[in-house]
Amino acid sequence: MLLYALRRFGLALLILIVAVTVMFLMIRAVPGDPVQIMLGPRATPELQARLTAELALDQPIWKQLVIFYGNLLQGDLGIDVFSGRSVTDIVFQQLPHTLWLILGSIIWSATLGIGLGAYAAAHPNTLIDRITAAISVSFVAAPAFVVALLSLLVFAVHLQWFPAIGAGEGFWDRLNHLVLPAFAIGLSWVGYIARLVRASMLEVMGESHIRTARAFGINERRVVLVYALRIAILPVVTVIGVGMGFLLSSAVFAEIVFARPGLGKLVIDSITTRNYPIVMGSVLISTGLFVVSTALADLINAWLDPRARTAH
Amino acid sequence: MKIEWTKAPVGRRNFLKGATALGAAAALPMGLGGRAMAAEGGTLRVRSYGDLQSIDPAFSKGVIDEEIHASIYNKLIQYKPGREWDWQMDAAAMIEQGDETHIKFALRDDIGFTNGFGAMTAEDVKYSFERIVADETESPNKPDMGPLSHVEVTGEREGTIVLKEPFAPLWSIALPYITGNIVSKKAWEAAGGKATTDPLAESGPYLRDSWSPKEKTVLKRNPDWKGDAPAWDTIEILPIDDENTAEIAFEAGELDFTRVSLGSVQRYRDGVPNGGTLLEYPSLYYTWLGMNLDHPKLQNKKLRQAIQHAIDVPSVLEAAYFGAVDPSTGIIAPGLAGNRPQSLVPPQADFAKAAELLAESGETNVTLKLDTLNKTTFTTAAQVIQATLAQIGITVEVNVLESGAFWASADNEDLQLVLNRYSMTPDPYYATSWFITDQIGHWNWEQFSNEEFDKIHTEASQLTDQAKRDELYRRAQDVMEESGAYRFLTHEATPVVHSAGVVPALRPDGLALLRYFGKA
Repeated sequence: MLLYALRRFGLALLILIVAVTVMFLMIRAVPGDPVQIMLGPRATPELQARLTAELALDQPIWKQLVIFYGNLLQGDLGIDVFSGRSVTDIVFQQLPHTLWLILGSIIWSATLGIGLGAYAAAHPNTLIDRITAAISVSFVAAPAFVVALLSLLVFAVHLQWFPAIGAGEGFWDRLNHLVLPAFAIGLSWVGYIARLVRASMLEVMGESHIRTARAFGINERRVVLVYALRIAILPVVTVIGVGMGFLLSSAVFAEIVFARPGLGKLVIDSITTRNYPIVMGSVLISTGLFVVSTALADLINAWLDPRARTAH
Repeated sequence: MKIEWTKAPVGRRNFLKGATALGAAAALPMGLGGRAMAAEGGTLRVRSYGDLQSIDPAFSKGVIDEEIHASIYNKLIQYKPGREWDWQMDAAAMIEQGDETHIKFALRDDIGFTNGFGAMTAEDVKYSFERIVADETESPNKPDMGPLSHVEVTGEREGTIVLKEPFAPLWSIALPYITGNIVSKKAWEAAGGKATTDPLAESGPYLRDSWSPKEKTVLKRNPDWKGDAPAWDTIEILPIDDENTAEIAFEAGELDFTRVSLGSVQRYRDGVPNGGTLLEYPSLYYTWLGMNLDHPKLQNKKLRQAIQHAIDVPSVLEAAYFGAVDPSTGIIAPGLAGNRPQSLVPPQADFAKAAELLAESGETNVTLKLDTLNKTTFTTAAQVIQATLAQIGITVEVNVLESGAFWASADNEDLQLVLNRYSMTPDPYYATSWFITDQIGHWNWEQFSNEEFDKIHTEASQLTDQAKRDELYRRAQDVMEESGAYRFLTHEATPVVHSAGVVPALRPDGLALLRYFGKA
């Protein structure tokens, strides 16, 4: 298991380096003078020249990349050219908002999705199963931005149950502000997970050990929840791990629509203003999150199912 | 399928139980019915379209920072809220123009800086103004101070602003806007001459209580403020870049004041939710279609004039701005010296005349590229222009660009037609400054170069006679239009909504002067 974990995290590190390098090259390939965009139309030539040198934009790209990784190895993500604040501080100030949003979405979508999927699998080809299927497919098909806007209009404007914007202050207020955005980006995952769990459970329910359990007269509820569900849930762990990337991208628009602070909004703002240090800092952290969560999902799977350790 | 279960300290059953419990806990509707309306409790909640970037007036990026600066610092004079551009005293107890290059001032004696930095003195004014124009500061806002030479300190609270040459925008831009904010010399020097995002010393009616990046800036009443008491205990400024989100937040009772989208104006004209009010102000922005005079395809003046006459401005505005704005007559907005009552080319298209001009030009099979920003308003406007130009046989290919690429167009040698929009401060000098010959390669994308225009730009900025300025700037726009390189579209508009409990204090272009906001 230890060897597998080391191998898996080695691969994660390699993916991270490739992704960050590609992003570094891409952001420098987009048109537009970053210094001019950052400083605006009236910056003095001296200031423009100084910032160009500070950002090493007067150096060849390969050298800029070497400088970037050199600084990174010393834990230095640079300075935000607008505010003069440390990029590390800025990124880590925004990161918790995004993590809470993703975590909230995963928790509620996984809980409801697993429940729906398990219930449908326990009652295959019944009316309940068909209704569950219709609900699941509708959830999968509902575009997250439409759900976000509709939920805002219904629950924030009309019913005024939940706040429309911001992230709140204090634990309970933050949780309250989390409900609508987490609902919006998690809804399609409910359907997806429900379909996944249903298919997986139906497969497991046909296995010999389930038949054996039934033959021993074990209560059907126990057979479904204990014997079938905990095996059928395995693919969900992988999906959630990989889904981190999708949820990160969903978080971008959720942060815009709900005017929430967060990493996604930070990246978008930084790309439009060509704020290279912030872009690279944010991309590094979000890519890191993605590869780590994928690796963790693989490790959990390997822990639950030892065959996975030798499958690659 | 056969699964081998492994032993683990955390049982899978417990793992599932825990996850389910956590999910259920997160789904509880904690906030049901517990939300107060925004204006209660002495807190005013307003939307800003961006977040604070610098607390230093020398490095302020514009109105977003200035909304905060104007509340926590003082200027000699401030803009006067209302529908007409005017100023009123702020930190100055007296200010007068001695001659064209000398402005005497005396400070009030009851303004002090926080953090123990003492009373505001003329030395602070000198330091604040001179550091903006000092080369070593490298302030992007230096042009706003124009030809400032220095400030003479003649007493503890008295001094004279000395200009190298007359500069009319001193009263409309330099003193009442960003560069006019007076900071504490002692505080700034103690911090090495520069501030980032934390105030070093404040003096205004409000103090910056906290700043959560991308989330909120909170201003609290300054307990030591001796001027007219501000109406609100607290002002929360929420950065929301999307106007539709801001509208939803307003309708949900979470904002007291916000600019709204032009697309929503008609809806709000029919009634603003929660007893609120819609106010419609003109804007200082100017939008136009530019033609690159250096491009081989646009060398023919008759062709350019044909394009001018073939663009139907009302149709563009109806489609792109929902008919909520008026056509413009140039780059200088109504209410400012130099605003023309009408343009040389009427806003309505004259297809017969356009076709005639095109025939006179001798150009056939004309195909042009129109660059525009990737914003719905501009892409819609570009499509209408494309359709109207097609009526005289000119084919337009719309080239939609992301903001970074678009704003780098000064380097784009293939730039042909461009749909553009610049922001403004309330002096015509600011508008003409981008179209002088020196700006070619920077912000003069049409490569427009005209001696008379350049001369007017310099002369008019030094005139204090408003009637003469008016005449000169009108002529400057005639010159622009006569070149055939410009089709002026609109100054846009600033529709804002406010809740029932708020009396907003706005500049004539609808921007907020937060320190003067009142309660209904």
